[in-house]
Amino acid sequence: MGTDGVYVYAMVRAGTVLPKGLGGVGSPPAPVRTIGRGPLRAVVSDAPPALRARRRDLLAHQELLMRLADGGPVLPMRFGMVAPDEATVLEQLAAAGSRHAAMLEQLAGRFEINVKALPAQNALAALVAEEKDVRRLREAARRRPGYEASIRLGEAVTTALDRRAAAAGQRLVRDLTPGARAVAAGPPVPGCALNTSFLVDRGDTDAFLARARVFADAHREQMELRLAGPLPCYSFVPSEARPVPVGGV
Amino acid sequence: MTATTYYSDEVVACPPRAGTLYDVLELILDRGMVIDVFLRVSLVGIEILKVDARIVVASVDTYLRFAEACNRLDLERDSRSTTVPELFGGGAAKAVGKRKVRKAADTVGETVRKVVGGGDEEPEDQDGDEAEDERRERPKKRPAPARKSSRRRVEA
Repeated sequence: MGTDGVYVYAMVRAGTVLPKGLGGVGSPPAPVRTIGRGPLRAVVSDAPPALRARRRDLLAHQELLMRLADGGPVLPMRFGMVAPDEATVLEQLAAAGSRHAAMLEQLAGRFEINVKALPAQNALAALVAEEKDVRRLREAARRRPGYEASIRLGEAVTTALDRRAAAAGQRLVRDLTPGARAVAAGPPVPGCALNTSFLVDRGDTDAFLARARVFADAHREQMELRLAGPLPCYSFVPSEARPVPVGGV
Repeated sequence: MTATTYYSDEVVACPPRAGTLYDVLELILDRGMVIDVFLRVSLVGIEILKVDARIVVASVDTYLRFAEACNRLDLERDSRSTTVPELFGGGAAKAVGKRKVRKAADTVGETVRKVVGGGDEEPEDQDGDEAEDERRERPKKRPAPARKSSRRRVEA
């Protein structure tokens, strides 16, 4: 075992088979293994020295969790969780194993789909046509061009873009919620008017994604849609060892 | 599970269902299970990524680019038409606005990169910057629809 600790990727059911040919974080990718007793296993590798949020390592973390989730339920750990040694991980499994196992079963057969709505920067013409304030400032800027006028106009455009995307995003959430088991508002992401995750049954994911795309097509002048999923249920596991309210931010 | 992620206004499929790293970055970094007794490694670089994106979005430069793109829109002739949005389909704005905004993003990103590069002596930093690249690349995924704007001209 390395002296830099044990990197923990996820908790899975005992008997889970690790994906073949897939390494963990570090360069070269650290070999991944499972440890534990009872119904739960922790998926771990040696932690590389000087671990940082490198693209390579973020993708290794993500890819491993994706592949694990394809094989069965997963409690995904946040990126960068490192235990001092294997013994600490085993103690944690022993202490909280039954709680984790119960949560794992709740998430079985379910996936996270993340939905982001961005301002529709492509639809400036529609924005100018539909937003009185923007039109007025645009005309003012044409009559008296200048830095001040441009700043006012540009700010109004930005504000209107955000407002339209946020409003469409809220409608999208209402539209999609009936197709999901749970909804979790995500942390604000710069540039995004909406960042929300949905917990969706495996059999419903295609229909869910299709519905989101239909909505986006009908609202392309208000928002640009970014869909990611089906993903491991990052947003539907507690962010602390203590229980937290479901859907809490 | 072979679901494919599409972007709403693209014909081309974006193959990874995880979206780009940009799409899932905050899930990997800010969501997921945390266990108190495990340490969270000190993740130098995350804040830089976030700050970079914020600067691009909120900069005065972006305002000015938007204003310029907006001013270039040729709406006057059709301003009475109720179907202005349909007629234009955002095509003209797309071609102009996107290019402008992208330029702004590139410029600011470049500045941040310089600042970051200067302040961080770790030789492997190239690697850490890649996630930043992914963010900046995001708007480039879509080809500038130049053909649309020429079609508009014919119709007008």
